[in-house]
Amino acid sequence: MNAKLRVGVYWAAGCGGCDISLLEIGPRLLQLIEAADIHFWPLVADFKYRDVAGYPDEFFDLCFLNGAIRSSEQEEIARLLRKKSRTLIAYGACAAEGGIPALANLTTIEGIFAAAYHDSPSLDNPERLEPRPVTRSDLGELTLPRLYPQVLTLRDVVDVDYVLPGCPPQADRVWQAIESFVGGKLPARAEAVKLGCTDKAVCDECSLEKRLVKIDQFRRTHEALPEPGWCLLEQGFICMGPATRGGCGALCTKARLACRGCYGPSGQVTDQGMAMVGALGSLLAAETEERARELVDQIVDPVGTFYRFSLASSDLKGMR
Amino acid sequence: MPEPKAEKIEPVAAGASLEKWEPRIIAFLCYWCSYAGADAAGTLRLKYPHNVLIVRVMCSGRVDPELISGAFAQGADGVLVCGCQIGCCHYISGNHKTMARMPLLGRLLVEMGLEPGRFRHEWVSASEGEKFARITNEITEEVRRLGPLNWPGRLHARGVGHGEDLEPWGTPQ
Amino acid sequence: MSPLNTGGPVNGPPGGDGIRTGVFVCCCGGNISDIVDVEYVAREVGRRPGVACALVHTFICSDPGQALIEQKIAELKLNRVVLAACSPTLHQLTFRRAVSRAGLNPFLFEHVNVREQVSWVTEDLHGATQKATRLVAAAVARTRNLVPLEKRRIPIRPSALVIGGGVAGLVAARDLARRGTKVTLVESRPFLGGRMAQLHTLFPTGEEAREVLRRLMQAVVRDPLVTTFTNATILESRGVVGSFRTRIRIAPRGVNKQLNFAGSAIAACPEETVSEFDYGLGRRKAIYFAYPGCWPPMPAIDWNACTRCGRCVSAGGGKGIELDGKPYEIEVPSGVIVLATGFDPYEPLHGEYGYRIFPKVVTLQQLVRLLDPEGPTAGRLPGSGNGPLRVGFIHCVGARQWEGVHQQQADGKVNDYCARTCCTAALHAALRIRELYPDARIASFYQDIRTYGRGHEAYYERASEAGVLFIRYDAKKPPRVRLDPRGEAPLVVQAGDLLTGGRPLEVPCDLVVLATGVVPHNVSELVDMYRCAVGSDRFLLEVHPKLRPVELAVAGVFLAGTCQGPMNVTETAAAASAAASKAAAMITQGHVEMDPIIAKVDDDLCTGCRTCLAVCPYDAISRDPARKRTIVNEALCAGCGTCAAACPSDAIQQFGFTDAQVRSELAVLLEGAGAGAAVGSEAGNA
Repeated sequence: MNAKLRVGVYWAAGCGGCDISLLEIGPRLLQLIEAADIHFWPLVADFKYRDVAGYPDEFFDLCFLNGAIRSSEQEEIARLLRKKSRTLIAYGACAAEGGIPALANLTTIEGIFAAAYHDSPSLDNPERLEPRPVTRSDLGELTLPRLYPQVLTLRDVVDVDYVLPGCPPQADRVWQAIESFVGGKLPARAEAVKLGCTDKAVCDECSLEKRLVKIDQFRRTHEALPEPGWCLLEQGFICMGPATRGGCGALCTKARLACRGCYGPSGQVTDQGMAMVGALGSLLAAETEERARELVDQIVDPVGTFYRFSLASSDLKGMR
Repeated sequence: MPEPKAEKIEPVAAGASLEKWEPRIIAFLCYWCSYAGADAAGTLRLKYPHNVLIVRVMCSGRVDPELISGAFAQGADGVLVCGCQIGCCHYISGNHKTMARMPLLGRLLVEMGLEPGRFRHEWVSASEGEKFARITNEITEEVRRLGPLNWPGRLHARGVGHGEDLEPWGTPQ
Repeated sequence: MSPLNTGGPVNGPPGGDGIRTGVFVCCCGGNISDIVDVEYVAREVGRRPGVACALVHTFICSDPGQALIEQKIAELKLNRVVLAACSPTLHQLTFRRAVSRAGLNPFLFEHVNVREQVSWVTEDLHGATQKATRLVAAAVARTRNLVPLEKRRIPIRPSALVIGGGVAGLVAARDLARRGTKVTLVESRPFLGGRMAQLHTLFPTGEEAREVLRRLMQAVVRDPLVTTFTNATILESRGVVGSFRTRIRIAPRGVNKQLNFAGSAIAACPEETVSEFDYGLGRRKAIYFAYPGCWPPMPAIDWNACTRCGRCVSAGGGKGIELDGKPYEIEVPSGVIVLATGFDPYEPLHGEYGYRIFPKVVTLQQLVRLLDPEGPTAGRLPGSGNGPLRVGFIHCVGARQWEGVHQQQADGKVNDYCARTCCTAALHAALRIRELYPDARIASFYQDIRTYGRGHEAYYERASEAGVLFIRYDAKKPPRVRLDPRGEAPLVVQAGDLLTGGRPLEVPCDLVVLATGVVPHNVSELVDMYRCAVGSDRFLLEVHPKLRPVELAVAGVFLAGTCQGPMNVTETAAAASAAASKAAAMITQGHVEMDPIIAKVDDDLCTGCRTCLAVCPYDAISRDPARKRTIVNEALCAGCGTCAAACPSDAIQQFGFTDAQVRSELAVLLEGAGAGAAVGSEAGNA
């Protein structure tokens, strides 16, 4: 370990929230700055890719990479940072499980372009311009990164040492991970050990009461006000808590909002959506198959509900 | 004879010849009713395609949706789940849970890109050998018509598990 | 390996982790080997990791075959065995025993079906061999993840609780006591005897029902091993086979053995009420005997009718009557339970065939009471004395009903089953009427005459010879009962005579008798308590009608009599004896062995979401909130695995069917799956 830690942060296909979440550690940021130097963070400082390429291998002691991989640029930089980092952490739901960007696996690049560049009512694009991989101009040949047809997780392209799940990871947990790293107390580096979370599901931390009743109607967040103190899933709001890794402190359910599953699957489960289907199917108040179908038809967007954050790490991953 | 597990699954080349492909279908059967129903088909010497491979469980309630998505993800072209007739479950109501899970599971599979004909659930009692033979015939023909699913191959072709193997930026050529 | 066995290598280096598997492929004398290339299967599977030997045998279930397995286990120190043969439903037990004899845990053995599910159903020889090879290789992979398991032994307490004091309960109690079992017999009403006491004579012997019942009751109540409670209601029954605990409330009878002058006490009572024993046709006092020769041989007080005026107390001799008795509770521990809760006759709906509208329309049960010399009319029928008595029987009332033709019952269903006993009972009653009224004119409107039992056909023949008119009607066009428009008789029965092409007939009747079906006595609380399976006809459902006809899926609970389906006294006695026999066998053995393929919770992964509690059909899972542990009750768990599938954290695993075991099987079954995976690229029949 060097006198001051060398830290890098990069955002791939993400929203920027994970970068901001690093600031959420609040006053502890000052402690971090005492102990570490930032050598790469596109949001915050003006390091170039060629700077990073020029660093020796394993230059970064700790690199936080957030966002999913869905373009050639993102993959290139992910591989570059892997080479240049001793410890690479997949930070946040997108890097860990694919996150919300992974829902693009349910459409095609053509579909995305149509929505982004042609069909939206607020667009004015009569010439039907679209991004092109190569453009010749007076400045020469300009290229754009290639979009991949499939959104990938970080682990799909490089070996990852640790994973910090969450959308974004919860601030106290992030600080615990940093402290452990600084103090040399991180768990042994095995394949993608999960930090800043527990092995159990959110229900373990949630204080809402179960009445052991079956669900006879599904409701969306805007359709009703939940009764306080009572399990949201039993009330018909699809709370992903039972199938979601804990460690966030059940912040959402404490605010009477159904968990959306951002920490990904718990324990050794690999497919968060299917784990939830197994549980949910067992909790429907349905004596006949027709009734089960009726109830299930009330769910407006099953893939978006059960795989909101984890489509890219699921078994089937969605493919069009 | 299937080869030992390949280290790397070759992606499907465009226009690859499919004439040697045979549907590979996994059937989860509950021991007390549908497995016995499959035995009854055998006792009657009914014939059905060899493509359906039977996995025995004690109750259809044991069939975790994770096992089904896992089967498709590993290359199954079709999955069949059979349980006791409703009201006749050896374990009283295990098949009720199956019955309640299947509609949701089916909907998810379709939205993720699988054709509906690849996944089927049926209630087969111990005396329904003919029904079992008919169902296996039907699902095999439907899957044959739909063609190979080859989910792992197609995902691999799209970079899952290895990206596009780009060299890191700035590597000297 | 951890007890949950959630890990374990699937494809380790051969023998590298100590796994040594013996594979045996049976030819079944050609049944398998004519279609499946068994040598090929053995050869290919023999190459898989951890396989120490792969042999073919003609008849592996034979003694030499089993001996071969045992010998190889010893010789090669096998710790896993895979057998490819006929269906495990036939011989799995045989081979588990063989493997045990050789010192190997029987749950490290896997039986693959390559006969009923491969060689007998596949025409393509190539495909059959392919399929068999895949299945056996998958089993090899699966067995690598198996762990040794021990059967659960549950001790059986040597006592029985019999619920119901009719003929079924009495026969069961008598038979159990004769075998030396302590029996507690509980009856909800104040008197034993049930519905058999409401009969006069029995078919086909013609014996008097209450005389037979009296002998039966004597045998039971005199047996020192039997304790009997009447006025008993089951409050709660907990526990599992071998150690049930049932809490019962005994309501006050109001009368005890010290009563000297029962007759005077009853005569002095000023309150009267409808007699349910006579199906509403007679009346009785608030303090009453149900029937002559009943047991207990002392009256009971009907608290709904009693005003506690006290006149019975003084008329009865001043003692033996307690008007302010209190109920008390007992707890009965037992090893087994026999359900003998009986039936109720079908109560026709208001207006059904004129029931409750015309007073001359009665049910067959009511007719039997009327014909009984000890009944409400001393054996005389109303309407007789004005010329020959005209009686019309309508069969299949409340039985063999059709959706859309008959009105649904309260639960929305029709009674589509045949009630079995009523044809013979109706003809038996018809002949009795003929005996009492030799010039009576009797007509029987029927769908089919089902006098199926031994000695029953004679009733049909004698009834025919005695001039009973049999008129067959179409089930979908039932007869109608109307006031006689000509006023010659109180009623007419109108029906289409099916045997003459539906020609309309109108038969005048002084009395119309509805031969009603039966429904099970309502025991919904017991059904919930014991989690009984119930058929669509609402009767309790046995495990298997032929192989296990008196057992419920709930271990240790047995069925006796009409709670299971319509049956006459003969059949009920046989069923009750069978139940007693099964129950006694369990007690004699002293323990029951249950398969160890049950579920277990991994506390480290369990979140306490309690999804599993909601799905268990046996209520075998509970949560201890203080210690934050979810526990599967090993004695209650039946091993379905539904909880394992439901758990969203994969924290519950089922021994013998863990995720790792099933996944390892799937991995081999799906090897090479996908486009371009040729069928048997190297395979072929030699």
